[in-house]
This record gives sequence, structure tokens and C-alpha cells, in this order.
Amino acid sequence: MRSLRRGRPVVAARRRMSAAFDAAVTTVAILAGLALSAFILVVAGVPAEELANEFIVNTLTDADNLRAVLAQAAPLAFVGVGAALAFRVRFWNLGLEGQMIAGSVAATAIALADVGPPVWRLFLMLVAAMAAGMAWALVPALLKLRLGVNEVISSLLLNYVALNFLLHLLYGSWKDPVDAFPHSPAFDPFERLPDLGWGLNAALPLVGAAAVFAAWLLGRSRAGFYMRFVHANPSVALAKGLPVAALVLTAVLLSGGYAALAGVCLSVGQEGRLTQAFFAGYGFSGILIAFLARNNALAAVVVAFLVAVLFVSGQSLQVFYQIPFAMVRLIEAIVIISAAASEFFLRYQVRWLR
Amino acid sequence: MMEFLIAWWANVPEAAAAYALAALGLLLCERSGVLNLTAEGLMLVGAMAAMGAALQIEGYPGMALVVGMLAAALVSLLFALLVVTLRVNQVIAGLAIVFFCQGFTQLLGVMFDWQNHPVPGLLPVRIPLLADIPIIGRVLFEQNGVVYLIVPIFFAVQWVLHQTRAGLRLRSVGENPEAADAAGVSVPLVRFGAIVAGSALIGLAGGLLSVGGVKMWFPDMAGGRGWIAVALVIFARWQPWRALAGAVLFGCIESLVPRIAAAGIRVPQYFMLMTPYVITLVVMAWTAWKGRSRSSEPGALGQPFLREERR
Repeated sequence: MRSLRRGRPVVAARRRMSAAFDAAVTTVAILAGLALSAFILVVAGVPAEELANEFIVNTLTDADNLRAVLAQAAPLAFVGVGAALAFRVRFWNLGLEGQMIAGSVAATAIALADVGPPVWRLFLMLVAAMAAGMAWALVPALLKLRLGVNEVISSLLLNYVALNFLLHLLYGSWKDPVDAFPHSPAFDPFERLPDLGWGLNAALPLVGAAAVFAAWLLGRSRAGFYMRFVHANPSVALAKGLPVAALVLTAVLLSGGYAALAGVCLSVGQEGRLTQAFFAGYGFSGILIAFLARNNALAAVVVAFLVAVLFVSGQSLQVFYQIPFAMVRLIEAIVIISAAASEFFLRYQVRWLR
Repeated sequence: MMEFLIAWWANVPEAAAAYALAALGLLLCERSGVLNLTAEGLMLVGAMAAMGAALQIEGYPGMALVVGMLAAALVSLLFALLVVTLRVNQVIAGLAIVFFCQGFTQLLGVMFDWQNHPVPGLLPVRIPLLADIPIIGRVLFEQNGVVYLIVPIFFAVQWVLHQTRAGLRLRSVGENPEAADAAGVSVPLVRFGAIVAGSALIGLAGGLLSVGGVKMWFPDMAGGRGWIAVALVIFARWQPWRALAGAVLFGCIESLVPRIAAAGIRVPQYFMLMTPYVITLVVMAWTAWKGRSRSSEPGALGQPFLREERR
């Protein structure tokens, strides 16, 4: 036995790292995750030769599907940029879905109560949605800043509270009187995001502007610089006299507001009414997008587009191969696990110690 | 009134058992210094695997629960690989595993068509004589086998943690891995062991939900109980007996909700369903306000261990 043991592997922190190495490792990890997902899809009954067709050719070359991808990309980009904003200050905002619900409930309340003249209605709905999303994000933010309550759990639990509140409304006073289904009455045309032609609505320019603003805030502004400081080391940032609490609060509130707008893209933009499960799976996707984009707002938009491709492909797999939509969730999880695992190779190096 | 109270209390032990098992499992893991957010996912895996086994082999609910435990332990190996070997951020790794389990269980359960198929499941076991005591007998001695098992499991966890060499090693790894390492304890090995053993308990909690409780399976059936268990461990300040007390509290709340509806008391149903989550938030805020949770937290909780090697 002794002679077989020619030393042992030793893990040590990596001293230097090039951007090219970083990009290469992350790309390989994501590709490995996708390869594993492809294998699972083949086992689940999708012919191997159809995979490329389903995921790349059909979604990007067919006009209808591309339209669906772009429509899907808007809420994903909102929620992804929102997650990135909170993660920039080391705040695990896992309440994105609850904030989406809160935003859409507020927008629906404005629409159902006919607040303000029709010309201003949509604007009021958007403002109310953002305010409600921010208010919903304020709870875990204050609990963390004031009392040091772990925001992972508190923000997550608020999702369940928001969901039950939504169901209370939809099965109660907001039930559609027309068909008695548990969804709200349909919005008036002027209460929906306007059409811009080619089957796309105003969600895309809205999210574009929001992403550029977030990119400016995080990358160019003084507050963004301070936020990077807080991310690197909160206690040193505090010792240096930075307004850490104000920075965290700003980022988290914006995060909640962006999540609310993601909800609005789905309820006010696409569905045209408040439904039971419009938010499902978006919180998780937002975390995935922010993580893969390394909390960079513009990169998040690109990743959101790719996740939208996955979503639309998932829907067609459901139709053509009866594969549950949960497959999309599984693929997202596999990608996030392999990307997280790859960070090992970025942070550490393994040497053979003799 | 008495009828209402007995009907309520008789449901408390089973609801509390799931919380207690999950919290004790998490506690084992966190005392070794690994922040474990995977409970929600592992409960889903335990619930699905146990139900799958119960549908395949009828009449052996105990076997089904063992399958659930093994499945959760198996998935936890992936978590252990990520956080112990690869030293991935423990929050990211925990969340990723939860998402993985949510997608995986939903996919398998729907593809194998395990959804909404009732099974006989775990049946209540009457303890002779004791079950005949008024009130107490109905509440405590007409439960399923797993509820009785909580007692030995609790004492076993308590004993292992505080009376055995393995428990001493586990706690030393959680408090100060450098010192434990210098004393010759293998930090990765202890953490792997703690994660797998704890996750088996969490898997049993999940199996109890499907095979013991509602006796069928549906997607996302853990419904946030895993997250509540994580909060419970913080509230319990990483002490087993406090975790047990917290589990009973949440068992009371959870089993009260359907009783109120059944008694015909008109309260908005969905507000009732919110209460466990709201109360968890309140308890977390209260624990933090009292301000003692920080000091009783395992010293190395959430920090990956890397031995500094000489060149």
C-alpha cells in the first residue's frame, strides 16, 4: 500500500486569475450542465437528433417562436436585474416571487377601482406596482438591518404569505363575475401595456431602460462604487464611514420594485388579468440569471434572453413530447449547480504534494 | 369545546413530528459548521421517494420510509460534495439543491404518474392500556409508528451530540475546524457524515408528510415546511430540546388551521393558511430581538474549511 501512495492532492487558494481563464471555466461548466440536461432529455424520450432543432433552430428562426422568446425575456430580465441589484449588497432576496405578486395585486387594485383618468391609468398601475414590490421587500430588509434576521428565510416565507393573499383575493372578492373562474376580471385595453407592433408590447423598451439604469447605477455611479465596497467587505465599508444601511436599503428596494415590474409584464402585459400562478418559477430564474451574469445588469439581460429560449423550448417539449414543464426547472438547477461547482476551479488550485 | 380541543391535539403529534425530524436533522448538520438550506428540497425528495416505494410495494410503509431516507441521503451527497469538497458558497449550494429537488421530484412524480394516488400508508398504532386513558390516550397513544420513534431519535441525537466521542468531534469541527484539524480530526469526513445523517432524518420527515400524513403525493407538497424548520433551528439556538419544543409549537399551529375550518368557524381560509409563515417571521424577529442567537451559533457556521498546507 505504502508504495502506491505517491503523495496526495492538496487544495490551495489561487493567487492570480486571468479573465480569460474565468470565462473559459464558466463556459465549460455551463456547457457541461447543458450536456447533462440533454442526456436527461434523451432519457425522458426526446430523440437526440431533435434536440438542436427544438432548442436552437425552432426558437430563433421561426417568427412566432422568436416573438414568444422576446416576450418571455422581458419579465425574466426584470427579475434577473432585480436579483442582481440585491445580490450586489450581499442581500439574498429570495422574495422575488412575493414581490411580483405584491406588485401585480397593487396594479390590479388600481385597475379594478378605476383610479384616475384612463390616460393616466397604466402609469398609476406601474407606480403602484413598484411601490407595493418595494414595500414587500422592505420587510426582510428592515428585519435584517434592524434585528439581524436572516433574510434568506424571511424573504422566502413572505412568498407564501403573498401567495395566500393572492388566492384569498382571487377566490374571494376579485373572482371574475363573467366566468366565475378564480382570476380577476380582464383589464380594459388602456390598462394593458400598449402594443408596439409585430406582436410585442411595451415591456421590452421598459426593461431595456430599467437595465440601462441599473447598469449605470451599479457600474458608473458613486453609489454603485460604494455597493461594490459593501459587497467586498461590509464591516470595512462600515468602518470607513459608508452609509451601509442606506446602500443596502436602496438596492433591496429597487430589487423589489424591479421584481414587481416583472410581475406586471406577465399579468398586465401578457395575461391581461391577475391569475393564480403567473409568477411561478420566475424567482428561481431571477436568481439563476443574476448568478450567471455575476450580478452585472447588462449581462443579466443577455442571460435572460437565453433562459427565455429555454422557457419557450420547454413549452414546446411539453406539447410535442408530453415532458412536464418541471424539466425547465431541473435544467436551470443543473446549470446553476455546475456553474457553482466550477467556482472551485476559479478560487482554488489543486496541486499534487509528494 | 372539549371535542374540538381533542380533535385538534390528536393531530398535533404527527404535524410536530415532521418539524422535529427536519429540525433535528438540520441541527446535526449545522452543529458541524455546515449551513444547510436544503431541507425544503430534501423533504420533497423523501416525500416523493417514499410515495414511489409505497405505490410499488404495497403494505410495507416502513420500507417506504426507509427508501425516502435513503433517497434524501443520496441527494445530500451532492450537497456535501459541493460545500465540503468544492467549498462552494453554502447559501448558493443549498438553494441550488432545493431548486434541483423541486424540479427533479416534480418531473419524476408526474412522469411516473404518482400524483394523487392514495395509499393506505402508515396506520395509527394503539398502545394497549395507555390509549384508554381519557384525552391523553387519544392525543398521545393513538399515533403512527414514526411519532413514537421521535422519542428515541431525539434522545439519540442528544446523546450522540453531547455524550459520545463522535459528537464531540462533530461539535469541535463546527466550532473551530482549525483546532479540530490540528487535533487529528478529519474535518471533511465529519462534515460528510453529519450532512448524510442529518439529511436521512430530513428525508424521513418528508416521507412522513406523504406516506404518513396526507397519504398521497403532489408536487411541492412540503409547502415551505423545510424553510420553517431552518428558522426553527435558529430559534432553538442549535439545542435539540429547544428544537423539539419549537416543533410542537408549529405542530399546534399547523393542525389548528384545518380544525377551525372543520368546526365551521368562519375565518378567511387563506389568512389561516398564512399563519405558520407569519408566526415563523414573528418568532425569528423575536429571537433576534432578544439577541442571544448570535452567540450560540456554531462558530464556523457557513464557512468552508481549507487547511493551510506548507509548500
